[in-house]
Amino acid sequence: MDLLALILQLVIDTSVSWLRMFIALFLSIIIGLAIGIYAATSESASKIIIPVVDVLQTLPILAFFPFVIFVVVSALPGSLGVNAAVIFLIITSMLWNIIFGVYEAVKTLPNEMLEIASLYRFSTLDRIRKIFIPASIPRVIEQSRLSWAIGLFYLVTSEIFSVGNTQYQVGYGIGVALVTLGSTNIYYYLVGVLVFLAFLIVTILFFFNPLEKRFKIGEPKDVDIIGYKRAASVVSMVRKVSYVDRATSLLVNSGATITKSSIKIAKRVRLPYATAKKKRKSGGIYRYAPYLVAAFACILLVYSVIEFNLAQYEGEVIMALFATLARVWAAYAVILLIAIPLCIYLIFVSRSKVRYTTTFMILASIPATILMPVIVIAFKGLPYGPNLVAFLIFFLSGIWYVIFGILSNASAISNILEVRDVYGVRGRKAWREFYIGAILPGLITGSITAVAAEWNASIVAEYFTSSGISGTGSSTVLTSVGVGMGKLLDLSLNANNVGLLMLAIVNMVAMIYLINFFVWKRLYRKVAAVYK
Amino acid sequence: MKMVSIEHVSFSFEDSGIEVMDDVSFYVNEGEFVSIIGPSGCGKSTLLRIIAGLIPPKKGSVHYSGKKVDGPSHGMGFVFQDFALMPWLTNLENIKVGLSLTDMGEDKKNEIAVGLLNKFGLGGLGKQYPNSLSGGMKQRVGIARAIAAAPDVLLMDEPFSALDELTAETLRSDIVFMLESKDISVKSVIMVTHNVEEAVELSDRVIVLSKKPSCVKRIEVIKHKRPRDRKAGWFGKVEDDIYADLTD
Repeated sequence: MDLLALILQLVIDTSVSWLRMFIALFLSIIIGLAIGIYAATSESASKIIIPVVDVLQTLPILAFFPFVIFVVVSALPGSLGVNAAVIFLIITSMLWNIIFGVYEAVKTLPNEMLEIASLYRFSTLDRIRKIFIPASIPRVIEQSRLSWAIGLFYLVTSEIFSVGNTQYQVGYGIGVALVTLGSTNIYYYLVGVLVFLAFLIVTILFFFNPLEKRFKIGEPKDVDIIGYKRAASVVSMVRKVSYVDRATSLLVNSGATITKSSIKIAKRVRLPYATAKKKRKSGGIYRYAPYLVAAFACILLVYSVIEFNLAQYEGEVIMALFATLARVWAAYAVILLIAIPLCIYLIFVSRSKVRYTTTFMILASIPATILMPVIVIAFKGLPYGPNLVAFLIFFLSGIWYVIFGILSNASAISNILEVRDVYGVRGRKAWREFYIGAILPGLITGSITAVAAEWNASIVAEYFTSSGISGTGSSTVLTSVGVGMGKLLDLSLNANNVGLLMLAIVNMVAMIYLINFFVWKRLYRKVAAVYK
Repeated sequence: MKMVSIEHVSFSFEDSGIEVMDDVSFYVNEGEFVSIIGPSGCGKSTLLRIIAGLIPPKKGSVHYSGKKVDGPSHGMGFVFQDFALMPWLTNLENIKVGLSLTDMGEDKKNEIAVGLLNKFGLGGLGKQYPNSLSGGMKQRVGIARAIAAAPDVLLMDEPFSALDELTAETLRSDIVFMLESKDISVKSVIMVTHNVEEAVELSDRVIVLSKKPSCVKRIEVIKHKRPRDRKAGWFGKVEDDIYADLTD
């Protein structure tokens, strides 16, 4: 094949993929603003929306893809339906953190701003237009970066997924191209990866970086929460209002610039979910929502076991579940060993976290799944090869969430550094008493998403054929672990065993939910109680 | 005897190159309470950090008891405007951070920290976390941390400005009492403030800085005995003089 023609083809493929991404991002922001603002302004709505979104964002929704594609294609036939399904899937990966970003931005608005709105009798529309949206924008943009990275993973994986089944082909797409090239010519595949990287770098440098610069989330040195709170004088009240006005007019003229009020608000959001937590605790019957969900899942499980006569499968499913659980947590342990020292070095020793953000974002946005072809070749023939492949993909899928979680949530750094220097706290004592404490909230939020990302990757990492995941016909199996949840999902889909697929998903959801509820949430509540 | 002397200190920001301070010189004697006051943005807090050894000056030098300051030392304690307590450490542990530079054993550190908690009226709160304290109590922990290692000099960066006026007043008089009664090791205090009344109430001398790039515009010596009556005739006059210097 002519190299030029190949590159042209790859550029077309990637452009089509990017188009899907931008449509999904745009829709996610619109929906995210609507749901986030609604949840933040309506007490009763938040009691339902927040726990539900909380659960949704930690579920490996990729596992539901077969169902989604089946439903959407039957309503919208042809490539339109498949594309709609892919875009829908990407939205399900981008949306949740945007909703939380908006929710927190609105929830932590200084009270005076809302009082001003009441004093001047702002209509609901005015409140949304002049206060809630401008206040949310910096957070939305910050979260969009993360959404983009997660979305790319879903995009590539779902595109790869569609390859195996001619009925559900997306047509053009970089994921499709990479799988095809990966199984024919490794050099062409590498050219494909380079084109993908070029698109990625251009998007980050010329789309996200300028955007974030405009709505910059202040420097760490002017973190001054308490001072800000106390300065609720008339003067500052007037200033805040005029900032909001300016922000709005600028936003309307699409020439928005840094808005001080938004920066301050954004800075005050340091502990995601903390506000949600507090609210839910006082929320009477809603406190029991998690138990209700768990009970419902159990009933569904028992029902499906009986209805589809699946009792003989349950043992197999549980085996698979624990095998994948072990791989996921082993990879997570290695992630911690690397991410914690690295982040502490970046934040507290080299103090140049800003400089690394772009590099990290580029690295983080490379979906681990596009590396499958090379990783598979690298581990071919090694003892435990398939396990190592799965382990590595899990590791690559999860580590960035931990790193980003820590970097974006480390609290009041300049303060900590000054106290450290004034009292000469050094070495192990500084680690134990200062650094670990400072990164803990971010570490926990990052870990929740990291583990979810690992589970997501399992449907590709544990079982992979030359024509994608649900390989049919002449494709060869490239990597396959002995037992694993991802493998079980793929195989049951291939065999059209809907009952087993459903049983596997319900089991997996139940386990992830239980771990979230009994490990992460508990940990988070403890930390939030001390920190706020 | 000169405790701290600031000699021809200049400072400009690394990245922007904006000149903040130009040739600032003054000294602080043993037993003196000195306030630094100036318009906002004149680099008061930066100057205090240079004195503490947290930031090196661009030009000039700072001497503490005859030796050049080239980094933080436990002879000088530092009180932060927003307390800067670590939320994940208990109040007792936060105070013990102030003893990091010393080589005492853990028991001795605990004993000192508990003693300070009691002295500041926080006995029994040692095992709790700072988020359960009011602003005034947090700053008490902050001050306790600063004096834990028995420093001669206490540097305070707007220590009362994050507190409400009533709490600030109580804390101010507590500090004056401790200093006057020689209850604590601190001999000299350097306090940055933007509150003229507070400066006049507490200080032996008030250093008035000019706008950026700032230099020493005036040194007001106040010889009246503490505690001072804010309603006294001389008080208002001194205040007016300083205000006049700050605003023109």
